[in-house]
Amino acid sequence: MIDLKNIEKYYASKGIKHYVLRHVTTTIKQGEFVSIMGPSGAGKSTLLNILGMLEEPTYGTYEFMGEDVTSLNERKRIELYRNHIGFVFQAYHLIDEMTVYENIEAPLLYKKIGGSERKSRIADLLDRFNIVAKKDLFPNQLSGGQQQLVGIARALAAQPSIILADEPTGNLQSAQAEEIMQLFQKLNKEEGITIIQVTHSEKNAGYGNRILHIADGVVKDDVAVSNNVKI
Amino acid sequence: MFKLNLKIAWRNLWKNKVYAAINIGGLALGLTAFVLMLLYINHEESYDSWSPDLKNVYQIREKHDFFTPDNKEHWNEISNSRIANLLRAKLPQVVAVTKVDNDFDFDNGYSLKVDNADPVIINKIKDSDSSFFHVFPYQFLQGSADKALENKETIVLKESLAMQLFGTTKVLGKTVKVVRWETDKGTALTITGVVYEPNTPQSVNFNAITRTGNKDKDPENPTNNNYCQVYTRLNKSSDTLVLNQTLQKIYIDFKKSLLSGQKKNYNDIYKDGKLPGLKVIPVSEVHANPPYNMNWFEKLKPVMAISAFLLLVSVINFINLATAQSVQRAKEVGVKKVLGSYKTQLTWQFLVEAALQSIISLFLCIILIEIVLPAFNNHFKVDLSFWHNAQLPVMISQLVGLFVFVTLLAGFYPAWILSNYNPVSVLKGNYENGLRGIALRNVLVVFQFIISVTFIISIGVMELQSRFMSNKDLGFERGNLININTNYEDDFVERLKKIPGIQYVATTTQVMGNAFNVPEEVNYKGNAINLNTVTVTMDALPALGVKVVQGRIFSKEYKQDTVNTVVLNEAAASLFGKNVIGQTYGKVDWEGKTNRFQIVGVIKNYHNEGFDKTVLPTVYKVTSLGGTSNTNNLLVRFNTSKYKELIGKIEKEWKVLYPNFPMVYSSLDDAFSKSLEDNNRFINMIILFSLVSVSLSLLGLFALSTFVARRRTKEIAVRKVLGASNIQIVNLLNRSFLVLVIVANLISWPVAYIIIKKWLDGFAYRIDMPISPFLTATLISIIIAVLTVSIQARKAAVTDPVNALKYE
Ligand SMILES: Nc1ncnc2c1ncn2[C@@H]1O[C@H](COP(=O)(O)OP(=O)(O)OP(=O)(O)O)[C@@H](O)[C@H]1O
Ligand SMILES: [Mg+2]
Repeated sequence: MIDLKNIEKYYASKGIKHYVLRHVTTTIKQGEFVSIMGPSGAGKSTLLNILGMLEEPTYGTYEFMGEDVTSLNERKRIELYRNHIGFVFQAYHLIDEMTVYENIEAPLLYKKIGGSERKSRIADLLDRFNIVAKKDLFPNQLSGGQQQLVGIARALAAQPSIILADEPTGNLQSAQAEEIMQLFQKLNKEEGITIIQVTHSEKNAGYGNRILHIADGVVKDDVAVSNNVKI
Repeated sequence: MFKLNLKIAWRNLWKNKVYAAINIGGLALGLTAFVLMLLYINHEESYDSWSPDLKNVYQIREKHDFFTPDNKEHWNEISNSRIANLLRAKLPQVVAVTKVDNDFDFDNGYSLKVDNADPVIINKIKDSDSSFFHVFPYQFLQGSADKALENKETIVLKESLAMQLFGTTKVLGKTVKVVRWETDKGTALTITGVVYEPNTPQSVNFNAITRTGNKDKDPENPTNNNYCQVYTRLNKSSDTLVLNQTLQKIYIDFKKSLLSGQKKNYNDIYKDGKLPGLKVIPVSEVHANPPYNMNWFEKLKPVMAISAFLLLVSVINFINLATAQSVQRAKEVGVKKVLGSYKTQLTWQFLVEAALQSIISLFLCIILIEIVLPAFNNHFKVDLSFWHNAQLPVMISQLVGLFVFVTLLAGFYPAWILSNYNPVSVLKGNYENGLRGIALRNVLVVFQFIISVTFIISIGVMELQSRFMSNKDLGFERGNLININTNYEDDFVERLKKIPGIQYVATTTQVMGNAFNVPEEVNYKGNAINLNTVTVTMDALPALGVKVVQGRIFSKEYKQDTVNTVVLNEAAASLFGKNVIGQTYGKVDWEGKTNRFQIVGVIKNYHNEGFDKTVLPTVYKVTSLGGTSNTNNLLVRFNTSKYKELIGKIEKEWKVLYPNFPMVYSSLDDAFSKSLEDNNRFINMIILFSLVSVSLSLLGLFALSTFVARRRTKEIAVRKVLGASNIQIVNLLNRSFLVLVIVANLISWPVAYIIIKKWLDGFAYRIDMPISPFLTATLISIIIAVLTVSIQARKAAVTDPVNALKYE
């Protein structure tokens, strides 16, 4: 599904190139649950942003579902967002002026999903994440964990084939974090959604089936995980 | 999506209530000024558009120098009355031609007397011929266009006049006595029609149209000419260019035969490329093309510029606040982009938000207009209305246009900025990076302040100039002096002189409120000198209270004064040179004989007109040699201040002599105020606009500083934890704004200087450019800017830093 070849990223300042990523070459298949780990400043977020087409690599090729996306125009990219990619953020990034219901609805509106279908999908998601009672509240009326649930529900609403999550539990207590990780694992196992997450915690990484270790912009290690954590 | 966006827009407005109110309120103010002006322009544009039939109606203009203010050739509204018959005979397209009285400024109206009621003065009673209503398609309430002026000695009233005189419009067959001046015997006219007031203003405005019979015939003697307005209705709307070529040919033939009748040769007069001229202009264009003055559009230009600026100031507030607020919206943009929103969708969203605010402003503006319109009408002597407006559909489409324009102007830039946010930097939590438009915002704040400071400077200078004018020595005593509109009739004057308290009764051809310049050329020691001539009675100069500089003024003791002595004003004396007392000069009279006049005195210049005009070099004469006729001024000076009582006594005498014509008079104090009126009105308007502009700018600054303070809450908190004092923090915020205000001041000084200089140059009597308004304006702008920002900064500074840090 994802094919990275020789991805490089640097920032030039005063004529000196500061490399953030070097020679990143990897393939991620449909249905994988990949965790990206590494010390702070290693380039994890940058890599995830490149995967999410939020940033462009300075060098290298990136194919998403067989399509070269380094030369994708804006319209095509937005089509990918609408149909294939869901984002989950550490800071949740819900829209403050919209209720829970409206936040989840937004991607469906962009995707031009009809009214009744929209309603049933949102009802389904609210139900699944146990937040039906909160549907008319605004984000600032929810706890952090609840906000992240809404964030994930929103990412799932458009039924993406891949979820990109940058430290999705970074702001949460361990109990809440666990709940989220279990949810990810379930989505991955039962619905076959590809998940790529950045995390600092070994424990969280254990929910997935592959770990990419990054240091100084270079992939140091690429290990498979035997699923020791059960649902 | 649209519904959701509208909802978000509404929630955002509600969340930022205060700024939204400032935005919307400010925009509403700006719009109000602009729409008022639109109303006014529509009103001016609507002249003579009250009937579709008017498109075939044309006014005749003749090129001549007769009766023109500067004695030079112009295309005049008044033409030789013979042209009416000329058109009938030579122009086949003509359906009807009518001759009608001109509007003269000095026309005070006629006295109308109905049965035994007291006579009333009514202006705009115009004499015409039988064709008037064949040319102008007035709707008849009583009577009919065909029959109304069929016979002589008939009169057709406007609806309002019928109501005023009779209390009803059923007045056909009744008679009205029209008395044109106090000694006129009067003519009894039969009412043959009443017409509706059209729904738009008319350039041929009247309260009544009479057919006395005077306009039916042209003078028989070819050397006598009558001048009046001539209008024609053609059988179809025509190309005026072609029409005017035809007319010109007809007219040259006419002129040749007319001149030969006067025993003059056409080729002697029209040579070296000089040509006589006759043309038509469509009646709908008459109002916009006055023959001598600036047309309304030219006059309105400064006001239009000012109200456009005002609108701009409020739109700038809108842009500034919207971009400042955008920090709060950055996250929304970033998220929506990764959810799959197109940039155009976001742009639309923010435009819809701007539209929501401008539509609210527009509604507020309409309410405001309803509130201020009566005062506006009163102040500018117009009769505008928003709802009862013949051009309501036009008005509404203009408002829609304005709405779209303002929305785009105010909303486009913020929408563009916002929709261009880069999602990565925003989602990284780095809003500041995504925050653009600070430079533009600063430019806009500076621009706003330039406008405001320029306004403040202008008010200052205008105030000084108008103080200078109202305190300026006029050169005569305007207190206890009235001017009755009548000629000097010995009988009446003798009666007045017997009333105790009346010091002088006199007449002059020129006095403030009725300036009538009569040019003449005299010959002094071989040089030609151009003077303005004023004929006075013996008592006039003392009655006015003029100051003698050299020699003496007229007196009964000198027999010669009624023959050939003159008094000059200083302006005239300076043309003659030194030691003029006792000198004589020559003047050729109309028979070609030279009369000699002796200069006996020089008086201080005194003003007859507004301060925009220079006092002309003037010669005063009592003599009938070369003097002019009476001009309807009777000066009466009191030596008591018991005004009312005295005027009552005068009116009693008047009624005995002229029972059919009410007495019309004005005090010279009023005439003086009136001469200042136009100017005062302009200054008042500028003051009003300045107040609005300054308060809008301050509101904008207030809101902007709030945002900046809020955006920097964390910085402030950190600085406080590091030990900064409140004052230091207030200064920190003030500094950035202060720089803007100072830059604005530096720019506005030269701008204001140029504009104000131009305004001052319009006055012949003016102050030197003062420096104090400039300093004051700068001081004021700095003080209020610092105050506004400090209030906000202080609020931010005194909040507990823990809150801010915890919140983050
Ligand atoms: N706009 C930028 N300009 C210059 N350098 C940048 C920019 N954005 C990121 N970097 C650098 O790129 C490097 C990698 O950043 P990145 O956010 O990917 O790190 P990370 O691995 O996600 O760290 P963390 O675990 O702290 O989130 C850092 O050293 C950072 O300083
Ligand atoms: Mg990171």
